[in-house]
Amino acid sequence: MSSLEEKKKKRKTTTKKPQSTPNASLPNELLLNIFARISRLHYPSLSLASYGFRSRLTSRDLYRDRIKLGNTESCLYVCLKFPPDTNPCWFTLSLKPEKEKKKSGRYVLAKLPIRNSPPAHCSGLVALGSDIYNIGGSTDDSPSACVSFLDCWSNTWKLGPDMCVERNYAAANVVDGKIYVAGGCKGCDNSNWMEVFDPKTHTWELVSCPVNVKEKCGCDVGISAGMNGKVYGFGKCKTFGKYIGLAYDTKENTWIQTIWKMDMGSYKVIENVLYYYHLGEFKWLDIKKRRGGELKGLERLPKFASDACVKLADYGGKMAVLWDKFVPLPSSGYKDKMIWCAVIALERRSGKEMWGTIEWFDTVLTVPKSYEFVSALSVIV
Amino acid sequence: MASSSTNKFVLKSNDDVSFEVTEAVAREFQVIAHIIDDDCAKKAIPLSNVTGEILSKMIEYGKKHIEEAPVDEEDEEGKKKLQIWDEEFMKQFNMEIVFQLILASNYLNNKGLLDLTCCTVADHIKDMTPDEVRTLFNVKNDYTTEEEEEIRKENSWAFE
Repeated sequence: MSSLEEKKKKRKTTTKKPQSTPNASLPNELLLNIFARISRLHYPSLSLASYGFRSRLTSRDLYRDRIKLGNTESCLYVCLKFPPDTNPCWFTLSLKPEKEKKKSGRYVLAKLPIRNSPPAHCSGLVALGSDIYNIGGSTDDSPSACVSFLDCWSNTWKLGPDMCVERNYAAANVVDGKIYVAGGCKGCDNSNWMEVFDPKTHTWELVSCPVNVKEKCGCDVGISAGMNGKVYGFGKCKTFGKYIGLAYDTKENTWIQTIWKMDMGSYKVIENVLYYYHLGEFKWLDIKKRRGGELKGLERLPKFASDACVKLADYGGKMAVLWDKFVPLPSSGYKDKMIWCAVIALERRSGKEMWGTIEWFDTVLTVPKSYEFVSALSVIV
Repeated sequence: MASSSTNKFVLKSNDDVSFEVTEAVAREFQVIAHIIDDDCAKKAIPLSNVTGEILSKMIEYGKKHIEEAPVDEEDEEGKKKLQIWDEEFMKQFNMEIVFQLILASNYLNNKGLLDLTCCTVADHIKDMTPDEVRTLFNVKNDYTTEEEEEIRKENSWAFE
């Protein structure tokens, strides 16, 4: 028994015979210098070489080097749930090792080696710099002031400072480097409906609202977004064909009542433009310039099934689209789904039109059909 | 400038190969520049960590970067020319030599060559399988048996 235990815990000290031409071992500092020049897309694969490599690839020193070389980049993180497990799993977009030049099948969602990620809900997850914040409670009847964040350098969860108020399914949005959280509190009123987190001071502060939030929006926020220096929050139910809500101007510290008429399946703000997918179409909306329409140039994108789960993410100014589809093999018994990913560069033409250029699309993961897509976000690492 | 192109120094490798270089080329390596500044460079400068084979390549790199240095920051054409030369220069080496060049350029402190050699390795390894990476870096797979099993299960894409 004890030898088995030993075998489990002890890191391997022997391995295959050394190769005939062993390279001079490089000191840590030089290994980091090399790693810092490689895209994060390759890190999951490289970290499989050894525990020592994995430790280096998640070390603070490596990120100091990446910053020094100006090599930081956007990295896509995906959060999925596999019921009955209530703790989600996190994945990062990665590239497979490449033996021959292949045109497709190179991308994959690599599972992060994190155990017990905290329960998460889509509206309570936001990316800020190199961290993903998980804000408040996400299970019924358990509001919480707890804030944790995934440090995407080290891929570890850390505890942040508690919010001022306990919240459940709160709506979190980032505006000008601060996180604004609204709704989801019990006994919510004008004084505690919204609060803001400043990552520089690491503190939460309540944002008082002069209008009656219960009347103008409701405690629970359905649709929410941060753009053009404003935080938008709309209630969960339509009244006379529209959602009613509030817009908070973070610079002017002013509030206005506003409405939202559109139904949007999934949506994301990318560089102050709202993009959404609804009933088979990608659309965009620039509220400030009062323009919008169909996102053009996406003919090459595969058609999504009508019941497909579609998620959008701001991938460093580009749009990442993730969607699922049943594995097209009757032999699989339609038990599994494939998650697809497309990266689309966005370009405004003559102010009126928005064009997307599909950089690539690929299947990136196979999951049991009972899975639940929580969120896709990108950080700068 | 005139003196640095006429002044000559002798660099001596750890296997006793001597190279006569101009002061400008010698100064491409910061460690040697310090030795010159400290006025300790009367005779041949011994470099205990570098072989003649590696030193000759480093001098070739240093000479090229002195002779073909871009006129100024805006000399895009000059920069591009040198960059193309750098790429061609690196193509002649296998990884064993590149590793030695990394160690030597780190030791003699030539940032340009260190950047270039590190980039070459980075580009070479990014698409490698875990096994190939282990072999190249001569590292052991130090995951525990349990970890290894889990890794293979969850990352089968990397071992296909």
